[in-house]
Amino acid sequence: MRPISETVVGRLREVVTFPDLAGTKYELLGSLGRGGMGTVYRARDRELDREVALKVLHGPLVEISARERMLREARVLASLEHPGVVPVHDVGTTADGRLFYAMKLVRGSALHQAIEGKSLNELLQLFLRICEPVAFAHARGIIHRDLKPMNIMLGPFGEVLVMDWGIAKLLAIEEGTTCPGTQPPQGSPHQADQTSPGTILGTPGYMSPEQARGDQTQIDARTDIYSLGAVLQFLVSGSELSRYYTPRISGICRKAMAPDPAHRYATVSDLMTDVIRLLEGLPIAAYPERLTRRAERVLRKYRLPIGLVMAYVITRALIALLGRT
Amino acid sequence: MTKPIFGLLLGGFLGIFDGLSALVSAPETAPQIVGIVIGSTIKGIVAGAAIGWFARKVNSLPLGIVFGLSVGLLLAFFVAAMGDQSGKHYYWEIMLPGGILGILVGYATQRYGRSRAGAPVAARPHS
Amino acid sequence: MDHERGDRRFPPTSHTLIEAITSPHGEERSRALDLLVTAYWRPVYTYLRLRWHLEPADAEDLTQEFFASLMEKEMFAGYDPKRARFRTYLRVCLDGFASNRHKAANRLKRGGGVSILSLDFVDAEGDLQTLEVADVSDPEAQFRLTWIRSLLAESVKQLEGEFKEKGKDRSFEVFERYDLSDLSTGDHPTYAELGQALGLPATQVNNYLAAARRRFRSIVLDRLRAVCVSDAEFQAEARDLFGRADL
Repeated sequence: MRPISETVVGRLREVVTFPDLAGTKYELLGSLGRGGMGTVYRARDRELDREVALKVLHGPLVEISARERMLREARVLASLEHPGVVPVHDVGTTADGRLFYAMKLVRGSALHQAIEGKSLNELLQLFLRICEPVAFAHARGIIHRDLKPMNIMLGPFGEVLVMDWGIAKLLAIEEGTTCPGTQPPQGSPHQADQTSPGTILGTPGYMSPEQARGDQTQIDARTDIYSLGAVLQFLVSGSELSRYYTPRISGICRKAMAPDPAHRYATVSDLMTDVIRLLEGLPIAAYPERLTRRAERVLRKYRLPIGLVMAYVITRALIALLGRT
Repeated sequence: MTKPIFGLLLGGFLGIFDGLSALVSAPETAPQIVGIVIGSTIKGIVAGAAIGWFARKVNSLPLGIVFGLSVGLLLAFFVAAMGDQSGKHYYWEIMLPGGILGILVGYATQRYGRSRAGAPVAARPHS
Repeated sequence: MDHERGDRRFPPTSHTLIEAITSPHGEERSRALDLLVTAYWRPVYTYLRLRWHLEPADAEDLTQEFFASLMEKEMFAGYDPKRARFRTYLRVCLDGFASNRHKAANRLKRGGGVSILSLDFVDAEGDLQTLEVADVSDPEAQFRLTWIRSLLAESVKQLEGEFKEKGKDRSFEVFERYDLSDLSTGDHPTYAELGQALGLPATQVNNYLAAARRRFRSIVLDRLRAVCVSDAEFQAEARDLFGRADL
């Protein structure tokens, strides 16, 4: 019998899971990762001779009408042109009836891998750049519904890209009932199955309560705001970064992640404004401070000029004293 | 407001106070206070304008502070070198506060005011 | 029964594997055992060589004896599907078996009422030598790895046999060049390049490859299902091997 090497064993294990791309212009190269809704593969677009990312959704499409609806949604997504939105190049179905998207292959790292060694300042600026495409999409009536660190990529040029737009919404339409992955909120989105002992408990979920309940009617822009709050919390409270988690940041997170959508920030702009004000040391909407705390902050912010004025006054006083002796 | 104008105004403002503070630190100079204040104000305006002009050209807080200190000390030195009517020189009493105020104006002009027409100063965020 | 040519027809068992093995019907029992042997003889041999440090000759004997004992004794009475995977259970049985033999230090004479399985031990030994067989510190992992390789290799062989019989040599050749070569993911030829080498348009390469992969997947899953005791175990094994169970 032909001996097969470890490399081939690994390859064949992958091959068994590959989608059937016969009849398309894509050549499968390998898999990149697996999410709750589908698997992303690296593929080559034969016609344009470039590498793309193919996201193939799990489970075949059955109804023609569902397919039509999905295509319509896909067109809307493709119309989201923003530097922070990964462009969708193509959409199609595999030979075994599964929907796939071809999108730009992002060579970078997902958020949770890319935040090592960043200062609080940098993290907050990064967060603002994450909010921008979300705000842009909201203005066009598109809700992401699946914002989490695994869906945010940092490209090689420092660009921030938000992936997997509205896919949750598409699948929800297809299934007609709930959002996929509407198991109890959990932090690790790659854990698709519940029986696995590695399911992490206690990590903040990125899914809003109304999403977890499967309550379609309640889902709107504020659902994304909840997720953004969770992302912010993630950014500033990794194990080594917990010192960044000040009461004011905590206040912003809590407001964004309020269980009742009416208590959250109304728009992404409002959230961004508070973060900017946080960066500038100004008072924020989410955390009204007692006067003493605010005074404390102001003093800290202007400590250099205050110090200088004090130095001046002391100098003058010393001169006066010495002059008298 | 551009940086030189800002520096000029701030320097003048501080100069007035600096002059008036002579009443506290050296009460014996009270008779000449008007002259002192005028001189101090002019010193402040000149220093402030120069420091502000520097801040417009060079965007660096440490350098701005050093420049402010130098200008403050220098102008204060000239004033102190003139001496008062009785021929006494008050070097320390004039140069030290002058230097501190120079630092203050240096800091302020680096952080505030427009450096170029239309270009806002990027405020450095505090955590 | 010749286990080397590879059974082309792998009928899905309607009963669970355990029921089939302990079935009173001789043919059903022997078919189930056939499946077991085909799936497990290489891992068993390799395991005996690596974990028990047996010489090739001893390992051969013990492999034969082990499967013989499976055919005879009520090995599976104590098996509880909820406690362990079948594969694990089998390995534990093997451990017990080898340990007993080791202690007793006696060997069954060949032909002593035991049916001989014609297995290509030379080939298995060859595999052992050439491949990067990992460390033996984790016997369970080692057993599993060999079993996986065995499963895939047998499936490849079946695919090759099928396709050559149906005249789909080209399809298999494309599959062989693309998926059975020792290249890492970055070095694969494009379909166009492969097409040029074989005198085919790139679209045809795509279709051939897809067809071969489709059939390969079918074969692998069928074989896996056949040696799993229950559907739950099949799901678990599939998830283990391929990352998901919804194939």
